[in-house]
Amino acid sequence: MNTEASAMISTARAAVAQATNKGAQVAEAYICKAKELNIEVRGGLVETMKLAEDSGLGLRVIRDGKTGFSFTSDLNPAGVDEATGQALVNCRKISEDPYQRLPKPGNAYEKLDIYDPGIRGATVEQKIELARSMEEAARSYDRRVKVIESSNYQDGEALVTIVNSHGMELSYHGALCGVYLALAAGEGDDSQTGFALDYTLKYDRLKPAEVGREAARRAIRMLGAAPVTTRHAAVVLDPYVATGFLGLLAPALTGEAVQKGRSLFAGKLGDQVASSKLTAIDDGALPGGIASAPFDGEGVATSRTVLIEKGVLKGYLYNTYTAAKDGVQSTGNGVRNSFKGTPEVGITNFFFEAGTEPVEKLLSEIKSGIYVTEVMGMHTANPISGDFSVGVAGLLIENGELTRPVRGMAIGGNILDFLANVDGVGNDLKFFGGRGSPTLRVAEITISGQ
Amino acid sequence: MIDLVDKQLLKEVLDQALQSGGDFGDIFLEHKKTTAIRCEAGKIEKIQTGVDVGAGIRIISGEATAYAYTNDLSRAGLLNVAGIVSHAAAGGRKNVNLDLTEVQPLVDFTFKERPEDVSTDRKVAVVEAADQAARAVDPARIKQVIVGYGDVVQQVTIANSEGDYVEDERIRTRLVAQAIAVSGAAMQTGYEAVGSLSGFELFISEQPSLVGEAAARQSVNMLEAQPAPAGRMPVVIAGAAGGTMVHEACGHGLEADLVQKGLSVYAGKKGQAVAAKEVSVVEDPTLNVRYGSYRFDDEGVPSRKVTLIEDGVLTNYMYDRLTAAKDATQSNGHGRRESYQHKPVPRMGNTMIAPGKTDPAKIIRETRTGLLVKKMGGGQVNTTTGDFVFDVAEGYLIKDGEAGPRVRGATLTGNGPEVLRIVEMVGSDLGFTIGTCGKDGQGVPVSDAQPTIAIKELIVGGTATGPSNGKIRRI
Repeated sequence: MNTEASAMISTARAAVAQATNKGAQVAEAYICKAKELNIEVRGGLVETMKLAEDSGLGLRVIRDGKTGFSFTSDLNPAGVDEATGQALVNCRKISEDPYQRLPKPGNAYEKLDIYDPGIRGATVEQKIELARSMEEAARSYDRRVKVIESSNYQDGEALVTIVNSHGMELSYHGALCGVYLALAAGEGDDSQTGFALDYTLKYDRLKPAEVGREAARRAIRMLGAAPVTTRHAAVVLDPYVATGFLGLLAPALTGEAVQKGRSLFAGKLGDQVASSKLTAIDDGALPGGIASAPFDGEGVATSRTVLIEKGVLKGYLYNTYTAAKDGVQSTGNGVRNSFKGTPEVGITNFFFEAGTEPVEKLLSEIKSGIYVTEVMGMHTANPISGDFSVGVAGLLIENGELTRPVRGMAIGGNILDFLANVDGVGNDLKFFGGRGSPTLRVAEITISGQ
Repeated sequence: MIDLVDKQLLKEVLDQALQSGGDFGDIFLEHKKTTAIRCEAGKIEKIQTGVDVGAGIRIISGEATAYAYTNDLSRAGLLNVAGIVSHAAAGGRKNVNLDLTEVQPLVDFTFKERPEDVSTDRKVAVVEAADQAARAVDPARIKQVIVGYGDVVQQVTIANSEGDYVEDERIRTRLVAQAIAVSGAAMQTGYEAVGSLSGFELFISEQPSLVGEAAARQSVNMLEAQPAPAGRMPVVIAGAAGGTMVHEACGHGLEADLVQKGLSVYAGKKGQAVAAKEVSVVEDPTLNVRYGSYRFDDEGVPSRKVTLIEDGVLTNYMYDRLTAAKDATQSNGHGRRESYQHKPVPRMGNTMIAPGKTDPAKIIRETRTGLLVKKMGGGQVNTTTGDFVFDVAEGYLIKDGEAGPRVRGATLTGNGPEVLRIVEMVGSDLGFTIGTCGKDGQGVPVSDAQPTIAIKELIVGGTATGPSNGKIRRI
């Protein structure tokens, strides 16, 4: 353990000791120290360069079944003292809840390769050059690429420490980097946007030129898009769009949503809830996963949780609190967005497992359909009922071939019916940050158009 | 005020940041204390408080911005950050003014009951009052009530290379209630929020129980509503609906950064008629204690009222320092940021369509038939084109000039700039809503308002996609 980590452990230890001295029966200190670099290039010039460093403490205390929380970015003794006092004040008026508890130590933690020194090792100049080369690759892909909205390079690293009064003392160091490009292509009066991104744990795995070309390709192929007539046809969701639909399921698969009556999966364990071709997994220890870490936001070892296996609902995600309520073990999904919040049930690396079929084969079997590459209004879907109605755009499939761009079409229905109709899963699982999906093919549905 | 860092050190830090060049440099120091209380299923689930302290330093050279932040406010910590941003500038040290003279505001606000002086018990009592009032509206059919209370005490110090020095304090308090009513297979939601630039005195003018009641009534009332009709029809948007539409579909297009990037329909339209003659759009952060009010913006520029559209003619944009310099003008006090972790960008505060002279009741009477919108829900807006879709959270059919039966599941589809051109009547009332406006990944508190307006016609979609989540997504 380096000196920085041991300094954080001792700050956390002191905070926990202070909280128990002040009357907490159990206490937990979470400290995160983060660094971030963001470079935005436009027209070959650096438009914005942002460097960040911050750290803070989140303190959770339990007294008589009541949990209090407070946070501070001031890790000096005075700041910690105020935070411990305030956390205890905050638990006074909280409703008593017998399931409030902190995890015990003794977990076995996986050793994960989540800190690449190459990210910090690369110079700022190299990173600027990377964003420039991505922009250049996009521009030179096609002369119709008109506006580069932004060409971004980003990296970040975090040192996370958790100490609790049950004797838990943990820390890890993680880092990630990524590129993002958004652009607009134009021809005549028509303008279409495209973007691409790539986040990874290894600096030398970044492929800026590929990302630049991908963004350009997405915009260019949509030039001249027009609506077609309403039809009953197959839809093929590219990995990005399929990942968006997968995202709709995330809240419903949490133990919290089930317990609060907000999940469309409540009471359906063991039921067939999707096509037998679909398997959905959350894996907080996934090798190479952007959201991978040895433990979650309260120190529970992360794990691989099969949520839907061959279409059958197998389980839900839990943090320590919701697991206690259901009498099960936490799945290591107590996720913290920052030191400013408590660990809530959330996803880590969440994905549909890859299938076996090449995308070309999935397409070639379709007589009439739409290859969907963009969706509008996904956030208006109702996560409780699963009802959705979204605008879609993409490419027309005719006799197994992608023929021309279409936009202004709409599909709707219920997410469960939609997923039950998946009849093909590609072998091209792709991640967008922590979420991912292969290409999915959905058997005939109504696609509204002109 | 908490003395974050002394003036002499600020001078040294700015001096260090500007050592290798840069046209402008500033430092933003922030001390923020927050309280959040959440009640769900009749239980106080969360009481969370916190302190976040930090500083952001910015150097602008030409069109490039270098920004760095830290929450290490020690002398060494600040000088280290200044050193980092200084590397991004080139061309050698320029002539800068580091006098740091205190800037005077054009408006002042006083806080009567500071959140730190109010016990947690009293804050919890406010939440419980709203929760109980909501449940009491219809104990059988109200299935869920969620109430959230929040207060923020933000103290900032801003100093820059033009010699300005500003200390400011913003205290904001809010209360939000959400209710879900169920009857058979029908489920409807209701939402109400109040908030202002003030301390706990907010609850002298805004009774917590009324907030809960309003959310609950809305959810229960909508259970009995009939499905909305579809098609083109005249639409009256009541003042009570607030200015969500003007904020989202027009306001963003009047922010100078979007205008300069060519991402706004209002680019190059200054001096031109862009709305009906009856329409004036005003952005006024000086309003007394509204949720989006402020004394100084986050670049230390005194806030002021800016008329964006006057009698239908586009008169001005919202500027921060960077966009103002590009247009060879002065900032008009709209450079805002979420926290020390963000660089400022042009933002709204309190945006509104200015009230006219027509009695709101007369507007409904003269509309004869159409849709009356009493409350807006969530939606989606393309800020580049102004195209929008909004859910109508509470709507009524207008028949024979009277507000008739309630309708549910209506959506409004249109184009913001186009709508302003077909406004036919403007009421003498004014209704506000509050919210957190997101842009470039930064959320800032805002309010928006409008009088009752009659719009010649909008496309009303009558197919409900389920309860609105109240969120607005911009693309």
